Amino acid sequence: MIERPEVRLSMPARAEGVGVVRQALAGMADALAIDPGILADMKMAVTEACTNVVVHAYTDREDEGASGTLDVDLLADEAALTVAVRDEGSGLDSPGGKPALGLGLPLIAALSDEFEVRDRDGDGGTEVLMRFLYTREQDPAEAHPIGETGWEPPVDPE
Amino acid sequence: METNPIALDESEEGVVVVLVEGEHDIYTAPTLRERLEEALGRGGGVVVDLTGATFMDSSILGALLDARRRAQEAGTGFVVYVDADVEPGVQRILDITGLVPVLPVVNGRDDALAAVRETQDPPAAASPG
Repeated sequence: MIERPEVRLSMPARAEGVGVVRQALAGMADALAIDPGILADMKMAVTEACTNVVVHAYTDREDEGASGTLDVDLLADEAALTVAVRDEGSGLDSPGGKPALGLGLPLIAALSDEFEVRDRDGDGGTEVLMRFLYTREQDPAEAHPIGETGWEPPVDPE
Repeated sequence: METNPIALDESEEGVVVVLVEGEHDIYTAPTLRERLEEALGRGGGVVVDLTGATFMDSSILGALLDARRRAQEAGTGFVVYVDADVEPGVQRILDITGLVPVLPVVNGRDDALAAVRETQDPPAAASPG
């Protein structure tokens, strides 16, 4: 959790909420005059983190109607925008298992300048922290290529 | 009117073009899967037009990869296209995931139609050659 974020969003962890998070991010980026290319990376990485919450965090809950929460904090400092995406789910080892494509974390690594996934203390759940520099010296997609994460595109059968 | 429409364009002979416009993610991925299914069900080639897409995530890539696999199994051509004005974020996710040669992704509708017709298995009798 980020202390004193500028923006704190809390919503049911449902698919329709992910676009709302992108809207908030775009509004914040606009106010900070963030480079459009960096904003595009932010949107993609944050979308992947939120999608993980929607798809995987609460797979062990029996009542499908009662979704858990998706919480997002945005904090701008002088050098970077930090985004925290949190759930109160069963953690990374949940029975939801492997995501369909397995591209979420590799994309987060490739599109953010720093990131960290951690189990939340005490009340359970997972938090993904991502930091996006306003000015980059290196493209993070070159520093953390997706090909080096073990993810591979499907290979043709022939 | 839908903000993020996915429509089928059936004006091309033997090919269905799936037009993906606006923002697409886990929320609209089921709709895209339905449209792709519908397009594959026509029996001809399938072309996906991403020139009007302003955002797409890995859920959309998953839907496209599944459609590609199903097209391969059915011996049907499947090609995705962008153009020079494609949203940079859309081009970037295709580039960094290495999916451009895989899906494959080509530049422009004409190239996409030519490519899909090339990979298409010749119809049993109708085609002259």
